[in-house]
Amino acid sequence: MFGYYLRLGLRQLRRSPVLTSLVILTLAVGVAASMSTLTVLYMMSADPIPQKSDRLLTVTLDNAPADSDSKPEDIPRGLSWLDVKALREGGKGLRRSGMYGTGGIVEPQKSGVKNFVAQGIAVDRDFFAMMDVDFKFGSAWRKEDDRDEARVVVISRAMSQKLYGDESPLGRTIKFNNGEFRIVGVLGQWHMLPRFYLMENGRRSGGSTMSDEEEIFLPLSTAIATEQDINGNVNCQSDAAPGYKGLVVSECTFMHYWVELASASDRSDYREYLHAYVGQQKARGRLPRPDQTGLYNVRDWLSFIGVVDDDTRLQTWLAFGFLSVCLVNTIGLLLAKFTSRSGEIGVRRALGASRAQIFAQYLLEAAVLGLVGSVLGVVLAYGMLHIMATQSPDLAALAKMDSLMLLTTVLLSVAAAVLAGLLPTWRATQVVPALQLKSQ
Amino acid sequence: MLKMEGVQKIYRTDLVQTHALRSLSLEVEEGEFVAVTGPSGSGKTTFLNIAGLLETFDGGRYTLDGKDVSGLSDRERSKIRNVKIGFIFQSFNLIPDLNVYDNVDVPLRYRGLGGGDRDKRIKDALERVGLASRLKHLPSQLSGGQQQRVAIARALAGSPRILFADEPTGNLDSLMAREVMNMLEEINVQGTTIVMVTHDPELARRMHRNIHIMDGQASDFDHGSDSRSDAPVDRIAPRIVASV
Repeated sequence: MFGYYLRLGLRQLRRSPVLTSLVILTLAVGVAASMSTLTVLYMMSADPIPQKSDRLLTVTLDNAPADSDSKPEDIPRGLSWLDVKALREGGKGLRRSGMYGTGGIVEPQKSGVKNFVAQGIAVDRDFFAMMDVDFKFGSAWRKEDDRDEARVVVISRAMSQKLYGDESPLGRTIKFNNGEFRIVGVLGQWHMLPRFYLMENGRRSGGSTMSDEEEIFLPLSTAIATEQDINGNVNCQSDAAPGYKGLVVSECTFMHYWVELASASDRSDYREYLHAYVGQQKARGRLPRPDQTGLYNVRDWLSFIGVVDDDTRLQTWLAFGFLSVCLVNTIGLLLAKFTSRSGEIGVRRALGASRAQIFAQYLLEAAVLGLVGSVLGVVLAYGMLHIMATQSPDLAALAKMDSLMLLTTVLLSVAAAVLAGLLPTWRATQVVPALQLKSQ
Repeated sequence: MLKMEGVQKIYRTDLVQTHALRSLSLEVEEGEFVAVTGPSGSGKTTFLNIAGLLETFDGGRYTLDGKDVSGLSDRERSKIRNVKIGFIFQSFNLIPDLNVYDNVDVPLRYRGLGGGDRDKRIKDALERVGLASRLKHLPSQLSGGQQQRVAIARALAGSPRILFADEPTGNLDSLMAREVMNMLEEINVQGTTIVMVTHDPELARRMHRNIHIMDGQASDFDHGSDSRSDAPVDRIAPRIVASV
């Protein structure tokens, strides 16, 4: 009977076209509004690296002075170079990388291209493997380059295109912040959203948005040695000597540290390792406050830093509230549509249709309306996302509907139509055939 | 075939109770062609609705084809309507969006018959009413008489044991009415029991048995076979069955 009901449902699309169009439009607008905001919420809270998000961990330490009145929630979200350096050298974990945001002037040796400011990041070699970075040209720098503070860089695909066109720039020298660096790699299609590894408070540390992309990657040891600018939050809870040299020997936090474990089950071992590290540092007179070491995997970290802001949550609730209003309207429209067919219902009942069969037929008809509404809803949702994308770079990066959201849109529309169809369908089953047959 | 004993039907509103049927008793034998007559508001349509399981009743006992139908679930009543009963209405009650073929198909769909079986039944039924060439026509493209023939084909396609007809010629001109009546008589001759509500005394006289309903009660009488000049000769003998 499913095929029969489906055929009847499709046939009914042509009947009372004004009412049918109104039902479809109402559903589509409600679904589009809710799905466009839900898409942003979903993209914001999506796991950016699902294949290993439970094995990539970041660390926070309470390195405030003993007399500090800071509360547990004030524990810095970054680490000092002292801790990053020690943890790197500790060698625990499959891969590890300290990192901080930097930036500076690139001086192109290409006529017609003016100097420009590039956003950068100082990382260890392992960063590229940890983040599953792919390369268009070359690769990450060598292990020895980290140790030797080599003047090497990896640049983004966009910068490579801008400076060298389609040619491979490997081996060429790029001038960055008055230093000369040899290009050893160009990124491929790698795209991370959100860029969790440098994010604090829902934004990239030092960046304006969660979607800022690094254009230049240089070794962390090289960045320290050449005193590359810190483009990020610097949090000092105790005095630091002036200048860059003073900063890197202070308790000021301006870096992040990520470690990749071979298995998620190694997490407790790593936590033990951190506790031991804190104990060791206490013995040396550092980290005087009680051990409040934080260890977060990617999803925990995104949740901890509040990557999904309250505004977005509120907008999503409001959009679903709007969908509810649309559903109420849809109920009214479906009531009108189904009531106008009481005569047909009476005939079908007289000819042997049970209430259950009438219920199935009309509910499927509502589902068909939802299915058509979903097509229009997807189109409208794309339009709304397009408008949202023009509002800010963050939204431009987030307002993209993937196949899961597309499928969700269709299912939401059908489910909404079925939900809205329950009351009108139930009313249809209550038609008294005897009355209808005589009044036809 | 159909037996009602003391059947009552009361319509209630907040202020008024209307006794549509008052302890109505009657019996229709298999193969009969019975006319139900009576003035407007006498309860004959209520009787037909209850007999056709389109309405429930408030008291008494109703046996259809040997089965007590009081207290059946909606599903059971629907199945009996679908399998054992055929309806013909004054206003044809074809579904306007469906063509002739699909209209006749409706009851067969609810019976869950296979495609081949349904197709054969539909075409056979439309052949019987002379509309085999109008399969794709919509009801609006047919005359009143043709629409009623489609309705008859729809009722026949399921091979019902009993046919309920409510003023089947009420919306037709005399020529079409005669045609439809001839068709019903032919169907009856082939073994289908028919109960027909009519206002038309001429038509009632063509039946070999009349049930007259007045104030919700039935009285039964026959016209005698000589009163029907064109009646089939193999009618079963008329008899008084019940009165209240």
